[in-house]
Amino acid sequence: MGTARLLAIKGGTLFGVLIASLLLVIVVLGATGVSDRMMGSIVNEEIRELRQSLAQTIRDPIELERVVLVERDQLIEFYGLDNPWYTRLPDMVWRILSLDLGSARTLKSFSGSTRVSDIVMERFINTVILVTTALAISSVVGLYIGVKLATRVGTKLDRGVSYISAASYALPSWWVGILFILIFSFQFHIFPFGGITSSPAPSGFLNRTLDIIWHAALPVITLTLASVGSWAYVVRTMVLNTAQEDFVTVARSKGLPENTIMNRHIIRVAAPPIVTNLVLGLAASFGGAILTETVFNWPGMGRLYYDAILALDENVIVALTFMFTLLYVSARFILEVLYILLDPRVRY
Amino acid sequence: MGERTRSTFKELLSTGSGKAGVIFISVLFIISLGVVITYPPDFGLKYWSNPVLWADNPRAAPPAWTNLFTSDDKAETIILETSVPSERIPGIGTGIVLYTFDFNYNSDEAPTFTSMTIENIRYNNRPPVLTVNIERPDGNKIELFKLIVRGPLPDEEAPFIRFGETPFRIQFSGDTSVVGSVSNFLKQKFNISMSNQDLLLSGVDTVVFGIPQDDEKFEVLKGSYKLQVEAFLYDDDDSIGKVKFVLGGSVFGFMGTDTLGRDLSIGLLFGFPVALFIGLVASSITTVIGTSLGIISGYMGGKTDTSIQRAADIFTNIPLLPILIFLAFIMRPNLLIIILILTVFGWPGLTILIRSMVLQIRSGQLVESSITLGASRLRIMLRHIFPQTAPFVFAQMIFFTPSAILAEAALSFLGLGDPSLPTWGQILEYGFRNGGIFVGYWWWILPPGILIVITAMTFVLIALGMEPIINPRLKRGN
Repeated sequence: MGTARLLAIKGGTLFGVLIASLLLVIVVLGATGVSDRMMGSIVNEEIRELRQSLAQTIRDPIELERVVLVERDQLIEFYGLDNPWYTRLPDMVWRILSLDLGSARTLKSFSGSTRVSDIVMERFINTVILVTTALAISSVVGLYIGVKLATRVGTKLDRGVSYISAASYALPSWWVGILFILIFSFQFHIFPFGGITSSPAPSGFLNRTLDIIWHAALPVITLTLASVGSWAYVVRTMVLNTAQEDFVTVARSKGLPENTIMNRHIIRVAAPPIVTNLVLGLAASFGGAILTETVFNWPGMGRLYYDAILALDENVIVALTFMFTLLYVSARFILEVLYILLDPRVRY
Repeated sequence: MGERTRSTFKELLSTGSGKAGVIFISVLFIISLGVVITYPPDFGLKYWSNPVLWADNPRAAPPAWTNLFTSDDKAETIILETSVPSERIPGIGTGIVLYTFDFNYNSDEAPTFTSMTIENIRYNNRPPVLTVNIERPDGNKIELFKLIVRGPLPDEEAPFIRFGETPFRIQFSGDTSVVGSVSNFLKQKFNISMSNQDLLLSGVDTVVFGIPQDDEKFEVLKGSYKLQVEAFLYDDDDSIGKVKFVLGGSVFGFMGTDTLGRDLSIGLLFGFPVALFIGLVASSITTVIGTSLGIISGYMGGKTDTSIQRAADIFTNIPLLPILIFLAFIMRPNLLIIILILTVFGWPGLTILIRSMVLQIRSGQLVESSITLGASRLRIMLRHIFPQTAPFVFAQMIFFTPSAILAEAALSFLGLGDPSLPTWGQILEYGFRNGGIFVGYWWWILPPGILIVITAMTFVLIALGMEPIINPRLKRGN
C-alpha cells in the first residue's frame, strides 16, 4: 500500500471522527432544545440591528413593526427555525466548522468584539504557547530520563521513578497548580498568582517577553510535571522492550560499545512508539490545559471554557468543544503521518 | 476459582504497594460505610446547602489545632445553651425566670461575633419581656438587648406560640440597639465616646470583651463572665423552649470552616462514599462493556469485529474532557449522567486490548478442543475465554477507577458537579471560586485535593501490586 493512500485513509477516518463528534454535539444540542435557543438569539439580534437601522428611514411605528415582523418571519424561515432541529443538521455542521456561531452572550474578545470566532481565535494562540512549551520541555526531559533509566533497570533510581510516575497518574495537574500558587505565590511571593502579563504590561519587547515568561513559569511547570513522569516511564519501557530483542544481543556479542548499541540500535528502533506517545501527550495536554489555564487564569481557550461555563454562554461552549476536538484530531493525524514516516514496517 | 482468588490475594499482599493499597482501601471503605449509615440521605440539598444550619459557625475559620502553632491564642467557638431555667424569682405574675451562663474567656482576641437564639416562647395572656445582660470579670454589667415578644393577633387563641418554627436569632455585632447600649456603657464607665457607625464597623465584641487602652484599642479582658437572660413571665404556664448563645471563634473544629461557616470536616467526610461510588460504579460498568465487546469482537470476527473496532476507533479519537464538559453543561450536572458519559468514552481502550488477547486465546488448544466437543459460542466465550482474561480485566478495572474519580473531580472543579451530592471537587471549586488561594485559605483548599489524591493513589497502588500477577515476566526483574 502506498504511503499517500495510507495517509488518505487515516485522514479520512479522522475526518469521520471529527464529523462524528460534531454530530454528537449537534444532536445533543438539538435534542435538548438548546440549538433552538441559540438560533433564536441570533435571529433576535439581527432583528434588533434591523430595527435600529430601519428606524432611521421608517418613521411610522406601526409600519416599522410590520416590516420588522415580516423580516423576522423570513429570518426564521431562513434559519429553518420553523422546522424541527434535525432538518437543520447539515447547515449547523457547516456553521460550526466555520466557527460562525454568532455572538457570545456576555463574553468579549480583548479587542471588544462579541463574535465567537474572534474571541476563540484570540485565545487560541495563548493556549498553543502554553501547551507547546510544556510539551517541548517534558519531551526532552522525559526522553533523557527514560533512556537513563533503561540502562539502570532494577536500581533504586529506576524503581523510584516508576513509583513517582505511577503516583503522578493519581495527581491531577490542576491540583498541583493550586499547590504551586499557594506555595510560590501566596507564601513566598516568587511567582504571580496568574494571568499572562502584569497589569499594566511593561513596555519594551524584552521586558514584555520576560514578563510573559515569568507568568508562564508556573503553568508550564505544572503541565510539564503532569506528563513528564509517565513519559519517562513509557520511554524506559519502550527502550527496554527493544533492548531484549535478538539483534541487540547480536550487537552486544559482536563487542560493540554500549553507547553505540543504545544510540544506533535501540533508540532508532524504539523511536516510533516513543514519538507516538509524545504526540498523544500533545493531544492530551490540550485537554489538561483547560484545567491548568483555569487555575492560573491564563487567557487561553481553557480559561475561556471556564468563563463560558460560569456565564452560561452556549455559543462559546459549542465553538470551544469543536476547537478542542479539532486540535485533538489534528494531533492524531500528525501522529499517523509521523508513524508512517518513521516506521518502515507500517508501509507494507 | 476460590483457591486462585486466594492465592492472587496473597500475592497482592506480598508486594509493598499492594499491601499499602489494601490497607488504604479498607480504611476508605470503613469511613464510607460509617458515613452512609450516619448521614441523612438528602444531606447535600437539605443540610450542606442550607446556610441557616451553619449560621452560628465562624466563617472561613482555620482548624482549632492551628492554635498549637501560633503565638496568639485564637478564640475558639463557645456554645452555651439550655432549656431549663437556672433560677426563678417570684414577683408580678410568675415573676422573673433567669437563664444564667457562667464561662471563662481566656483567649487573646475577642469573639468574632456573638449570637443569641431563642426558641419556642409560649405565653397565655401578656407577652413576656426578655432582657440580656453580660457581667464582666471587672464587675461591670452591660444590658445588651431587650426582646419584647409580639402580642397576640386579633383572631389568635391562647396559648400563643412565638419562634416555634423559625427560632429568633440575633447577631449582636450588627444590631443597632445592642450597639446603642454598648456605646452608652463605654460613655458611662470609661468616658469614651464612639459613634454607632464606628462601633458597627469594629464590632461590639471587642468592647464587650475588652478594656480600652491608651492607644484607643481594646485589650481582651480575660476571666469569668456571666451571660444572663432575664425573662418576665406573667403566667404559670408561660415557658421558653431554648436559649442559646454562640461566641464565635476564629478557629473551628478539626478541619475549619468555609465562607458560609460550613464545617468542612462534615463535607469532606461525605465525599468518601461519593468518590468511591463514582469510581467503582463507572469502572465496573466500563469494564463489563469493554470486556464483553472485546471478547465478542475478537472471537466472532468478521463484520461484528469490524464494526465494533470502527466504533472503538471513533470513540478513542474523541477528546474526553471537552466532550465531558460539553455534555455535563448541556444536560445539567447530575452524577449518573457523569458516570454514563465516563462509561461511554471509557470502554474502547479496554475493548481493543481484550480483543488482541482473545485473538491469541482463540487459536489456542483449549478453545479448539471445546469447539470440537460442540460447545456453544456463548459457552466458549464465557467459560473458556473470559477466565483467561479475568486477572487482566480486574487489573484494568482497578486502573480505571482513579481516572473516573479524577474526571469527576475535574468536572466539579469547573463548576459542573452534581449540586445534590457534595464532593471533594465541589468543595475545592467553591474555595477556588471564592478566591481561597489568594487569601491563603489552605485548610479549605488543601484537604479535598489531598483526599482526591489519596483515593486515586490507593487504586494505583493496588494496580501496581497486581502487576506481577498479570505479567509474571516482571517477577524476574525484582
